[in-house]
Amino acid sequence: MEVESIPPQALEKIEQISSADLVVGILADLDREGIARLWDDLQDLPGSPRIAVLQNDKGAGPASPNPETAETGGLPFLVSWPFFRPDLTGAPMSSLFGAYQAVFAGGEKLGARACCVVASKLENAAPRWVSQLAQPLLEGEFDLILPRYARHKFEGLLNSSIISPLSRCLYGKRILNPMGPDLGVSQRLFRKMLSAGRNAPNNGIHALVSLASAASCANLQVYEIHLGARIYPPTDWANISSLIAQVLGPVFLEMERNAVCWQRVRGSGPVPANGEPVSVTQDTGNVDISRMVESFQLGNRDLQEIWSLVLPPATLFELRKLSRLPLEQFRMPDELWVRIIFDFALAHRLRTISRDHLLKSMTPLYLAWVASYAHDLETAGPTASEQRIERLSAAYESSKSYLVSRWRWPDRFNP
Amino acid sequence: MWDQVKQALAQSAARLLARFASLLPGMVALILAVVISIFLAFILAFVARRLLIRLRFGERLVEWGFSSPAESATKNAAVLVSRAIGGLVILVGFLIGITAFDAEWTFRLAQDALEYIPNVLGAALVFVVGSIVARFFARSVLISGVNMNFHYARLLSLGVKSLVIVLAGAMALEHLRIAPGVVQLAFGILFGGIVLALALAVGLGAKDFVTKSLQRDVEKPSNETVEDPLRHL
Repeated sequence: MEVESIPPQALEKIEQISSADLVVGILADLDREGIARLWDDLQDLPGSPRIAVLQNDKGAGPASPNPETAETGGLPFLVSWPFFRPDLTGAPMSSLFGAYQAVFAGGEKLGARACCVVASKLENAAPRWVSQLAQPLLEGEFDLILPRYARHKFEGLLNSSIISPLSRCLYGKRILNPMGPDLGVSQRLFRKMLSAGRNAPNNGIHALVSLASAASCANLQVYEIHLGARIYPPTDWANISSLIAQVLGPVFLEMERNAVCWQRVRGSGPVPANGEPVSVTQDTGNVDISRMVESFQLGNRDLQEIWSLVLPPATLFELRKLSRLPLEQFRMPDELWVRIIFDFALAHRLRTISRDHLLKSMTPLYLAWVASYAHDLETAGPTASEQRIERLSAAYESSKSYLVSRWRWPDRFNP
Repeated sequence: MWDQVKQALAQSAARLLARFASLLPGMVALILAVVISIFLAFILAFVARRLLIRLRFGERLVEWGFSSPAESATKNAAVLVSRAIGGLVILVGFLIGITAFDAEWTFRLAQDALEYIPNVLGAALVFVVGSIVARFFARSVLISGVNMNFHYARLLSLGVKSLVIVLAGAMALEHLRIAPGVVQLAFGILFGGIVLALALAVGLGAKDFVTKSLQRDVEKPSNETVEDPLRHL
């Protein structure tokens, strides 16, 4: 993100501040009390670092200051910044990714040693969690601080089914939430992200997606901290295919960009973590599996011509068998799901069909996995979900040779 | 009398031979033009085929939904296009050869044919672009329909594809100036028929869906909301 794209009033305020040790970007919709708690937390940081807080400007114009937040607690270095512009392209995730880029740009302009992003509302939040994000960065020990949320078993399903285990398999680091969204980044890492964006501005890579992979490939230090339970937005079933396309598109692009790096990695190792896990109650309500199985069966009937361009015959045969199973026996094997993800990633790279069509046609398969997962965990205890995800992650790692073979020889290796 | 008969025969034979002799250069020119055009067509077709295979023309067609991913189908696409280019070159050579005959009708035939070639190319381009667009829209509608749990998504997709192809076909025929009045009328009837069929299919097929949606909207305030516990991101 270039300096000239920083809104004028924000740029003026940043130039007044001139420098800061830590930049905190607030993307979450925090109320007055939340901001005050955040400031109290930041004031406890050792060394009294100079802190600038960039908050999303929800005013009428692109750079109009928010009088309410200006009065809140008399924050001296508060900069209002319109992170989220009206989304005309129907791609709200792009707006979110752009907000991270904006925070890093603000950090670069202020010469900050670290940037933190607060993007979630938490319940049962770990004490001083924001300063826990910032402190290791300011002390220069780590480059990327990522969260470990206390999660209900049916939350963060895209992350549990694809993003986290795929990242672990590719880059060899057992990161639970590679895409945060609450995170802390060192100067070294956010400058790397910004220069990658400048060198290839239209490459479709987004800072939030690239952070964990860039840190892993550059052998930077990654750390995790336990936060509370994140409050997730409710599922918009009408737009789930768009969500999948917007999230997985950059993930697959990142995979293509880092092919040289991940093909050398074997196995995975743990990432150091701090804090105590926060427990949550698991009263999660009923999951309607039949709707998702029906979606999968409809997809299997009508999308065969598209899936056959992406998936090998053996996988298509297993999907047909799966679609004929009754509801109570509906189980998608982990190995099948993993091979599907790898095949779609390869098809994304080869542009077998339009990338948007490719990712949206994955929706029934994803719903089949969710139905299978929900079926497995419907009556299971709180630790069962972690064991289930661990088994899935192990399946990703054990199938990596399949991915490498197909990636290197897509025409010759097609089982 | 026999002398007069012999003279008449000799004169008619001489006229015929003279006439044939006057056509001979034209025929030789025609044969030469066709032979050269066949030779050029062979070279151009070979170059075009190699170029299309190198550009992965077949894979592009598969991406656009034109053919199956089988290797034979993708190679056949390049062969088909290269043969079409060769045929066009031979046709142009034949027309050039025909104009060698010093006759007005051959000249006008060649001129009209050469003037018609841009119409043919324009029509082909319109139809090809229309087909690509039709297949893209059909695939978009199919995927969106399936993701919205429409059981008639395939029918909808086929309808959209047919609509766009019929439109492209009518535009191509108008370019070719083939029975424009008939084509317009036939297009209007066909297009209207397809739209009516789609409207009936969607309207009747989605009747239950709309009823249930309206019922859900009416009953929602009085019922306890059962929260879906699934969270994806």
